[in-house]
Amino acid sequence: MNVNSPPLTEDQLNATFAALADPTRRAIVARLARGDATVNELASPFEMTLPAISKHLKVLEHSGLISRTRRAQFRPCHLERPVLDSAVSWIDKSRRVWTERFDKLADHLSDVRFDPAKD
Amino acid sequence: MSDQQPAADELHFTRVFAAPRELVFRCMIDPEHLSRFWGPAGVSAPIERIRVDARAGGLFETVMVNDADGSEYPTRAIYLEVVEPERLVWRETHSGMTISATFTDLGDARTEVRIHQTNVPETYRSPEAQVGFLSSLDRFSGYLDYLGRRSEG
Repeated sequence: MNVNSPPLTEDQLNATFAALADPTRRAIVARLARGDATVNELASPFEMTLPAISKHLKVLEHSGLISRTRRAQFRPCHLERPVLDSAVSWIDKSRRVWTERFDKLADHLSDVRFDPAKD
Repeated sequence: MSDQQPAADELHFTRVFAAPRELVFRCMIDPEHLSRFWGPAGVSAPIERIRVDARAGGLFETVMVNDADGSEYPTRAIYLEVVEPERLVWRETHSGMTISATFTDLGDARTEVRIHQTNVPETYRSPEAQVGFLSSLDRFSGYLDYLGRRSEG
């Protein structure tokens, strides 16, 4: 996991997890983890039409997981590894928030218990 | 790490507090208590901006303020379950995230709080979808690690 991954907004995280919830899109991401590929190359292992694959690519692109270059004719797809890493590191961030929050709560509870008037 | 981690989009977190269960539970639904701890390190949660209507369907709103630069992070949630002093479940409407807190009385005025936080959209939360989705996401993440190691090595 890359610890320098940029933080994702909640919307981006949701879009990323929603994008990864589909098996075809996971297969596409797994293929792109090995290197950039064109839509035709991505479509070949699937029994799917190009428009169907394009639809999946749009979802992935919207989530930020992949990017497509605008200039090249075949518009190869590229996996944005930092976005994937950020989604995976969501768990670490959440754990840190709850750890820090509960550290404060433990302090607060000991204040309250020593001074019941505050409760 | 003793906590179970079934998938990249789920968090299980457990903490034991030296306080009776009723009090720990109250801390989670009372703005006066919440404002003392709700913001993580370096982040405040001003009491006047916390709204709690602790019943199923009720609102739970906070604004967390970064102490360093004053930037604000508002959260808005709806309570799905409020069973005092055992269990609280709320869903953040801005993120779609569902969080449950389970309070267990351990005796000797000690209370265990278990947090279960999920980041999966509701659509994928049916029992059937969950089994398939969570296990495949788990495998998928392992597979990507494997690809990553291969390309590095």
